[in-house]
Amino acid sequence: MAVIEVKGLSKTFKVKLKDKGFKGSLKAMVKPKYKTVNAVRDISFTVDKGEIIAFIGPNGAGKSTTIKMMTSILFPDQGSIKILDFDPKKDRKKLSYEIGTVFGQKEQLWTHLTPYDNFKFFGAIYDIPEKAVEKKIDELKMLFELDEFINTPVRNLSLGQRIRCEIVASLIHNPKILFLDEPTIGLDPVVKENIRSLIKRMNKEYKTTIFLTSHDVGDIEKLCKRVIIINNGQIVLDDSMDNLKYHYLNKKIVEAKMKERVNLDDEDGITILKDKGYNLKIEVDTTKRSVADAIKLLNPDNIIDINISNIPLEDIISSIYQNKDQL
Amino acid sequence: MLTAVRNQCKVIFLSIKYALMRELLNKTTFISNIIFMILNNSSMIVQWIVLFSIKDNFGGYTLKHVILLIGISSSLYGFAHFFFEKSFKLSETINSGKLDAYIVQPKNILLSTITSDIQVSALGDLSFGLIAYFIYGFTIRGFILYSLFTITGGIILVCISVILHSLSFWFSNADAGADTFNGMMINVSTYPDSIFKGIVKWLLFTIIPVGIANYIPVKVMVSFNPYLLLINVGVCLLFILLAFTIFYRGLKRYSSTNLMVARV
Repeated sequence: MAVIEVKGLSKTFKVKLKDKGFKGSLKAMVKPKYKTVNAVRDISFTVDKGEIIAFIGPNGAGKSTTIKMMTSILFPDQGSIKILDFDPKKDRKKLSYEIGTVFGQKEQLWTHLTPYDNFKFFGAIYDIPEKAVEKKIDELKMLFELDEFINTPVRNLSLGQRIRCEIVASLIHNPKILFLDEPTIGLDPVVKENIRSLIKRMNKEYKTTIFLTSHDVGDIEKLCKRVIIINNGQIVLDDSMDNLKYHYLNKKIVEAKMKERVNLDDEDGITILKDKGYNLKIEVDTTKRSVADAIKLLNPDNIIDINISNIPLEDIISSIYQNKDQL
Repeated sequence: MLTAVRNQCKVIFLSIKYALMRELLNKTTFISNIIFMILNNSSMIVQWIVLFSIKDNFGGYTLKHVILLIGISSSLYGFAHFFFEKSFKLSETINSGKLDAYIVQPKNILLSTITSDIQVSALGDLSFGLIAYFIYGFTIRGFILYSLFTITGGIILVCISVILHSLSFWFSNADAGADTFNGMMINVSTYPDSIFKGIVKWLLFTIIPVGIANYIPVKVMVSFNPYLLLINVGVCLLFILLAFTIFYRGLKRYSSTNLMVARV
């Protein structure tokens, strides 16, 4: 069952242009020039209940604009959005009760208050009775392991603890859909991993649909089963993570430690990435040559040690961003 | 409907309570801000005492009337800045994308935004206003009128600020114009209206509604006039309507930003 339906969504922004220097500023005052930026161009997609979906793209691709249109912050120019059958443009208040938002770059918590007081405040915002809020805080405190710092003012918390509290604040009213805009931005790898496992647990426990944007490939790889890639305001890929890896992983990286030097300069389907004499790193295009073939060229008797790996997901995504199809 | 109003009031109350809790963290600054504001406002009275030692009457205003005028001006300013401080910084909230946090909440966006912060020194203005009123002379009816005019005048001041700052949805740097206009209203509001003539006086009862918010209350409290009272309340309601209409019309043009912001 689709809980998010987006059809033909578009949004443009008018940006004022200015020539360089003081003269340019004066000119812009007398005769202003504007440029129309197509932030989102005719995008359509649906998201089913309980899905964890990655909505990714390079900076300026239109991710945040799309999320902001879905959460009533921005008004679309064209197209329609249905979130749990609500139109964000017309049913802002009703929709707010059903969704939660975490913007990694924007804090929603009062920094001088403790997380507990903040959660109580959020409870009041969503009209939840006192006892129900306290029960919910207890439940989320356990799930997100907040016990140690729930009564410490937010300004004294570490970034990781603060993000955990931001997520909890957005869950106080039991949202059916959670929009996470770069929730792990600026966090160290251990805390990132911790946040990811909490998000996963939350999805499992409450069946919350999660709409995630992130530049962190780890977030996408470890959390999401489906990925939508947006670039220049258009969807360039909407597929499952498995398909993404399967279709785009037609290249393998072979790293070998050799007894003798081997020359692979003109071999079709093989690109030499690094050649340090006895240590060789090559990329094998499996549409042109099998990995077994490449190993034969190296001569198995000549190999001391070998490692075969996939191209990192990060490279695949970068390549899609750059619209290259050689992968 | 009633439940929604009650819930909105609860959020506003909590918002103000939490902002006050933040200010109370620094007790010395909190108390000194209030005391210095009372002293600052008292200096205006001292100036008028000096002037009244030269002349008995300024355009029909005696020293008591001037004290009442300054008291009302101070009170409504204090009311506006204590409960609705963010209405005087609305441009910044719009331009820095901080409205996002209020839009995603199931509450009235404008009310939640403008009540999300307080100005501690405004408590000094409110206290000074009360002192001035007691110097003028306490009666129960007078106190009810004084409280009503503090609220209506404060709301008019807030609405003007919301209207002018909402222009940020259309033009950048609308805050400069809004601040100048607000400053002008405050400067004019402590002088008796009878010293202004012609077009300036007309402006003070129309475009710059100091006459409605400050002068009418003095006239009603000195000599009760139900028509003037109705004008004061009616204009207040009209400004509320205008402020909401302009803010929500502008909100459709809101473009947000991706600047990093924190709620402090």
